Amino acid sequence: MFTIDRDAQGAVVASGRLDAAVAPKAQAFLDGVDGTVTVDLAALDYISSAGLGVLLKTQKRLMGGGGRLRLVGLSPHLRDIFVYSGFDRLFEIAPAR
Amino acid sequence: MEARASRRHLDAYDLEAILGVTQKLAAPFDLSTMLTEVVAAAKQVLDAERGSVWLYDADVDELVMEVATGIAPVRMPSGTGLAGACARSRAIINVPDCYADPRFDARVDRATGYRTRCMLTLPLVDHNGVLVGVMQVLNKRDGAFDADDEALAAALAAQCAVALQRVRMTGALIEGEKMRQALEMAREVQMSTLPSAMPTLAGYDIGTAFRPAELTGGDTYDVSRVDGDVVLVLGDATGHGIAPALSVTQMQAMLRLAFAMGADLATAFIHVNNRLADTLADDRFITAFVGILDPVEHRVRFHSGGQGPILHYVAARDTFVRHGPTSFPLGAMPLAALPAPTELALAPGDLLLVLSDGFYEQTDAEETCFGEERVCAIVRDLRTATSATLIDALLRGIDAFAAGAGQQDDMTAVVVRRETPVEARFARTFDAIPALVAFAEDAFARLRIDPSLRTAVDLALEELFTNMVKYGRGSRADIAIAMAAIDGGVEVALVDRDVEPFDPTGRPPVDVEAPIESREPGGLGVHLIRRMADSVEYEYNTVSRESRITLRYTRRGSAAAVAAVGDGSPDVHD
Repeated sequence: MFTIDRDAQGAVVASGRLDAAVAPKAQAFLDGVDGTVTVDLAALDYISSAGLGVLLKTQKRLMGGGGRLRLVGLSPHLRDIFVYSGFDRLFEIAPAR
Repeated sequence: MEARASRRHLDAYDLEAILGVTQKLAAPFDLSTMLTEVVAAAKQVLDAERGSVWLYDADVDELVMEVATGIAPVRMPSGTGLAGACARSRAIINVPDCYADPRFDARVDRATGYRTRCMLTLPLVDHNGVLVGVMQVLNKRDGAFDADDEALAAALAAQCAVALQRVRMTGALIEGEKMRQALEMAREVQMSTLPSAMPTLAGYDIGTAFRPAELTGGDTYDVSRVDGDVVLVLGDATGHGIAPALSVTQMQAMLRLAFAMGADLATAFIHVNNRLADTLADDRFITAFVGILDPVEHRVRFHSGGQGPILHYVAARDTFVRHGPTSFPLGAMPLAALPAPTELALAPGDLLLVLSDGFYEQTDAEETCFGEERVCAIVRDLRTATSATLIDALLRGIDAFAAGAGQQDDMTAVVVRRETPVEARFARTFDAIPALVAFAEDAFARLRIDPSLRTAVDLALEELFTNMVKYGRGSRADIAIAMAAIDGGVEVALVDRDVEPFDPTGRPPVDVEAPIESREPGGLGVHLIRRMADSVEYEYNTVSRESRITLRYTRRGSAAAVAAVGDGSPDVHD
């Protein structure tokens, strides 16, 4: 089960499993954000390369307009994957909001 | 107590003496003290010079007199002499002049130099009418015993009988209690050496059971890891009671020590056998199974010293292969050498069943043995169940069979099951991804795989499966995935048929330090797999056009991967 939405503070909150099956849904949602956006991943259990691809594409688009994604609340498992893929160098990763 | 109107002088002193004996009914005296008390009371109440008590030994129908501590008691057949006559008739015999009575045996007088003039002989019969013995009171101080003395003596005798009988029964109870405690202690020693937990062994499910019979039997078992191997032991000492319980425990301890010190199978078996041959009584021996499981080569080598049958369920053929003993029971005779051990290969789904005689030889009310066929039938029904379920079913099957006939011997089981990999096939579509996740969850639970490896395995399954879907569009075959437990982790295999080769191990590495402009999502999945797996192997069969990717994950491997990142050292897996 994967969900993605904006909360009352305007942050994007993603939860569940972001895999190849739901990557198009995540992409469609993130195609609609602008500027600098905080993405809360505290409830995200799992991410594969398909999910990383969604974040990469969104980051490239936002950086073109001077914005970016700010990722918060990564679990140790997720953090490992960001490190192994070098994505920790491409995103600002904060422990919490 | 029988009161007689004709009694002339039952004074307070006499009464107190009788009541004193009555009171002592409850005193925790041993037998000889109680006898002394009884005789003293009789002498006092009847104003007699001497007294003695013969106890009746019903087992041999003899009268026995305890003379003194350390001296063998005097025994005589229950029909002999005045005491014997009294025991037979259970009536008081009052002899005013002993030497005038033909039943009187003067040998005691001759031996002691004492002269018996008159004698009152009284049966000691308890409340339940059981003859406890005979009391004799000798030489009333002023004349002979009269009718009043007889009445008084009868009252006293009834009390004495009850007191003595109680002491005798207490003594028997104490003896029984001592025996019970000794048995319990032996049982405790026996139980304490049984392994408290099974070693965890990837790809194997080892179950054990030890159900003791009420009296100590002589079974034991052991399952222990020695280096990479697993030592399996089941022993059954002949007989019941303390000695077999202790000797089988000794055998188990010696085997454990021998293997821990690096002895091979034959050396351990021969040395323990020879030591037992030295120490066990000549009529004692221990039937035993001593085996070594190699969980990498999936082979079991064993010696069976008179322990049998050893059953090997061969899953592929759905049959049982029965193995007999390779040697004599342990301790039966010294051995200089052994024949080659029996060797068998355990394929996935195979079972090795080592059960003690208690299973096979349990009888029902008609004395029919439970037997091998019934064991095999239950095992076949549950051939895919866990070893614990299987053993439980065997015990329940035996209980139903015995139908309350009572357990006759210890029942001990060591069951080794080589697990079958968990396998599934998936349609070649992205829609199958949730089914992949469910499959991994089920496989991890069934194979008891460390849950911390789940993320890495899920990632590999998804990445490789999606690659196979993307690049294998020409194939209509399902994609097969299998998982098996390995030491400390899991082995995952994906098989894709009717496809062109796609070797993930041959992909160029992703430059993780590249600036974002040049980063692309492609190749990232395979890169992550190679970072997170302990090993990745690729095979392609050109005939079946089949790609097989085999991945291994362990806790150690994942810790090393994390550490490598922390060190900033280069990718250790590439």
